[in-house]
Amino acid sequence: MTSPSLTLISTSTLISQGAEAKVYKAHLTADPSDAPILLKHRFRKGYRHPTLDGSITRTRVAGEARALLKCLRSGVNVPGVRMVDASEGILGIEWIDGQSVRKLLPGGAGEDDEEQEEDDQIDLLQEYDISVEILMQLIGQEIAKMHLADVIHGDLTTSNMMLRHPSTFKSCHATLRTELVLIDFGLSYHSSLVEDKAVDLYVLERAFTSTHPDAEPLFASAMQAYEQRMGKEWAAIGRRLDDVRLRGRKRSMVG
Amino acid sequence: MQSYKLPHFPVCVHAALYTNVSDSDSLRKRLIAASTAEGLDGERERDAVNFSFIEARLITSVNHLRTAVYQAVLAEAQGALRTKTVHSEIIWALNPTNNISEAMRRYGVSDASTSLVVVRVAGPELSPEVIERDMDATVKGTKASFTELQDLTDWAAVKKYHKLGSDVAVREAKGDLERERIVVDDIVVSSVAMKSVMG
Repeated sequence: MTSPSLTLISTSTLISQGAEAKVYKAHLTADPSDAPILLKHRFRKGYRHPTLDGSITRTRVAGEARALLKCLRSGVNVPGVRMVDASEGILGIEWIDGQSVRKLLPGGAGEDDEEQEEDDQIDLLQEYDISVEILMQLIGQEIAKMHLADVIHGDLTTSNMMLRHPSTFKSCHATLRTELVLIDFGLSYHSSLVEDKAVDLYVLERAFTSTHPDAEPLFASAMQAYEQRMGKEWAAIGRRLDDVRLRGRKRSMVG
Repeated sequence: MQSYKLPHFPVCVHAALYTNVSDSDSLRKRLIAASTAEGLDGERERDAVNFSFIEARLITSVNHLRTAVYQAVLAEAQGALRTKTVHSEIIWALNPTNNISEAMRRYGVSDASTSLVVVRVAGPELSPEVIERDMDATVKGTKASFTELQDLTDWAAVKKYHKLGSDVAVREAKGDLERERIVVDDIVVSSVAMKSVMG
């Protein structure tokens, strides 16, 4: 008999595929009133020994699920966990209806016609009832909440942030109808080191300036919001971030 | 009673909520007796109480219940049950620790239980009518809609068992009851879903 989780995947819709995993939209029950979920399948890697492959996959699924729970408990907006089948390498998480932040900022939409693109972005921002300025603040705040919980994301980019669609949930915020959600904790880990937090920010800064060169000045407001939220922890991280900017992400092992 | 299929398993799940349950002490005794009874009578008695009897005040949402059922059914299909049956596994899945008797004490039926969620994981060949009749015959109480579940929930007990009191997310939501419940439900559902990799 094939495994039930693989049957589940065979009836789900593929959304995207990377080198590490495939992502699907799925339904766990036949009840149409149940919300869909997102499945992340870390498929078997033929280039690894099966035993090693199994244990690496299990560890990564477990790690990602634990990071999500830690974030949930710490008040960071992340998708909730919905099902886990570690032996098959499957993690099921809450389906977020919304839009990737990458598509909401200039430069992120891809190679499409540029004027068209700008119009689309303005439309999207209107649909989500948010200004770019506020969006940048949300990014800074959410990352700060995550770092205060000692979770390092490991792959902060604007593609790994989403805005929830205002019509799909009830915002608990007085003036804001959307919510920024951090996604893809596949490379995340637990650390309280200033170095790791500074590198996490540096990775985002680099990703941001290369994906959205026109929006670069806006990044400062994300940093400002981060700074505010981090409180007294900021001083050390800020200092270290300056060092990291000079030397890059990798620490020199010389000496 | 609500019934739904898990299309990737050869099963159908039936669940009902009972309030004003008056016989929980005798029900609990009956369950214990059935588990050790021998012979044909024992088989018959076990069949009659072949349900999961869950303390309804610890269930935060239908999603919470269904997540536990799903993980239990999955464990059964993989031959990875930690308890004897899929029905006891549901109760085990709901409790945050690995202690089975603690899970039964908290999330199973106790003498003080006044509302119960009764679940039956069955093959698709069993008709919902028969199952509902068997449930009604076992539990003395008023059948209620699952929309009432939220009002039955003992949020303080849920927070205590999941040790949520000191969590930033819950503390931040303090004062906003509706929001706090959403936050607690979200954490609890996620904890149940990932219990197999918590250890």
